[in-house]
Amino acid sequence: MSAVEVGSGTAVDAGVGAGSAIRPRRRWSTRFLRSELRLIAGRRRNQMGLLVLAAVPIIMAIAVKVSTPGPGEGPNFLSSITSNGLFVPLAALGVEIAMFLPLAMSMLSGDAVAGEANLGTLRYLLTVPVSRTRLLAVKYVSLCIGALWGVTAVALPGAVIGIALFGTGDLTTLSGSQISFGVAVWRVVLVMLYLAAGLAGLAAVGLFISTLTEQPIAASIALLIFTILSWILDSVPQLSWLHPWLIVHEWMSFGDLLRDPIAWANVLRGLFVDGVYALVFWLAAWARFSSKDITS
Amino acid sequence: MSLFTDHPRARWAAPAAAVAVVAAGTLVTNLTASADPSLPPRSAAQLLADVQRAQLAYVSGTVVQSADLGLPDLSALGGGRQGSSSLQSVVTGTHTWRVWYGGEQQQRLALVGSLGESDVIRNGRDLWLWSSDQKTAEHYRLPAKPAGRTHDEQAGGSASPRATDLPKTPEEAAKRALAALDPTTAVTTSGSSVVAGRSAYDLVLKPRDPASLVASVRISVDAKRHIPLRVQAYSTKRANPAFEVGFTSIDFGRPDARQFAFNPPPGTKVTEHPVTAPDKAKAQGKDKTRTKGAPTVVGKGWTAVAVGSLPPGALTSGSTKPGQRGQGDQLQALLKNLPRVSGSWGSGRLLNGTLFSAVLTDDGRYAVGAVKPEGLYAALKAR
Repeated sequence: MSAVEVGSGTAVDAGVGAGSAIRPRRRWSTRFLRSELRLIAGRRRNQMGLLVLAAVPIIMAIAVKVSTPGPGEGPNFLSSITSNGLFVPLAALGVEIAMFLPLAMSMLSGDAVAGEANLGTLRYLLTVPVSRTRLLAVKYVSLCIGALWGVTAVALPGAVIGIALFGTGDLTTLSGSQISFGVAVWRVVLVMLYLAAGLAGLAAVGLFISTLTEQPIAASIALLIFTILSWILDSVPQLSWLHPWLIVHEWMSFGDLLRDPIAWANVLRGLFVDGVYALVFWLAAWARFSSKDITS
Repeated sequence: MSLFTDHPRARWAAPAAAVAVVAAGTLVTNLTASADPSLPPRSAAQLLADVQRAQLAYVSGTVVQSADLGLPDLSALGGGRQGSSSLQSVVTGTHTWRVWYGGEQQQRLALVGSLGESDVIRNGRDLWLWSSDQKTAEHYRLPAKPAGRTHDEQAGGSASPRATDLPKTPEEAAKRALAALDPTTAVTTSGSSVVAGRSAYDLVLKPRDPASLVASVRISVDAKRHIPLRVQAYSTKRANPAFEVGFTSIDFGRPDARQFAFNPPPGTKVTEHPVTAPDKAKAQGKDKTRTKGAPTVVGKGWTAVAVGSLPPGALTSGSTKPGQRGQGDQLQALLKNLPRVSGSWGSGRLLNGTLFSAVLTDDGRYAVGAVKPEGLYAALKAR
């Protein structure tokens, strides 16, 4: 590991703590993470992606305003939008969690390692005195924040336009009871966090795939295939024994947060599976990346 | 770290260990969940008496019901997919109910769909049906006196006691029920199981007739509260239960009164039903079935087969009505997918389920029973 040897002399300059060999005083710094986030936010394709994510709730809200759907028509929650603007982010999240949000995660995770390897920046990154473990941790944390960004990019514009077009007021839960607007906002935030956790679990898979290849496109497509395959397997009743272990299986349980009282069982199960995926695939990425020869 | 620097491949032990820990953890939880708790032995008669004595004050919890009846996919008819919250979809697949029981006057059932919910809420004389998908609520006013509860007669219990010689004690009732069951059914208590984290006795009913499709029915009775926690029906065709309904979590505390207060939210289409509507409707329904060729029962006990004939045009009439056109056609399509069978009794379509089978002949006769198809053919011929 030449990176460590080079790094020990320039630890202060880099300002991101020292490598693993000597371990001088490790100064906790978020500088690496901040630079990573700046990198993600600065990419034009990511900005475009956020715009696409944000466009869906806006289109839905305007479409419902123009012509009101009857009960049970269209995607879930669509017909409820007229009763409360907060259903716009919920309907949009319900639609986008299937494909758009995982697509966003595959773009980010493809860039995370494979993209840098492809551009040839990975070896420069490895010359700074950061252990590969820490690099991978920072990459993963930034992907998790990216997941939260993606969900917020759907929910926030959705909530804004929903409230502007349909107003606030009590929200009708799935159980038919009404909760006040303030409580409803918290429920939507819970839904956002829950879906972001699912995407973070997926991001770990993406990070692992990203360490396997130097082609970001290949990594992105592989994660997308993984997602689609999970949905397909989830819809085959003969594979019901496998379903509890598919990462997408409990994603749609975000609806349980909109019941009265909240049904936690499936949500907690979903979080557990997300956690298992995050742990196993992050460790796999670590096993692969730490011993990988960086050739590009 | 030196281990990992010297042997880079050793790093793969970390994710493998994580998988192993999760797998082992799951296995252990499953094993402890299904492990036999050690309970003092209890005879079938004692158990039945316990069940009758059980006093159910309050219950809330989650009930999971799963059916593998070998039916064709009916989702096209019910308009629901897997995990649908529509009440018609419960015949197949797995469904989750949330249950609140707050005494005689307050009950609530919620069928949980993936992003929807159907509720049945009873609060005193008010009965509400709520569907979140359709945004509809139906309101019934029940008659002031709670309708007399009819206990479902145990299968095979053909000797129904007259009102004068009703059993006086639970023990007597249990003894009589067992005596009535004995000719057709072997009743045993085969140890115990854990349901919803609670120890339970297993009461097993086994049909004596080998022609029955039902291998056994297993009722798990809570060891402390003596209420049934789970019912499993095993088919002779499957190793896993063909039908199962049971609690996955249960709480005996008093449910929040809020659960039973239902006010239709704004924007809901509310249908009001007059006071005695449900009873009348039921009575009308009964009359209809009675006048239009009630089925005759061939055989006894577990292998009884109901044979009858459909009113002419029952399958095609749906398609002439404009509103139900789709459903009639779908029913026809469904029938066409069933295998054709024929014999000396005639010919028709066979539904070969796990717990029951059914034949619909081309001339509109039908036979349904918990027997293999051969039993149905024999019953059709006998009639």
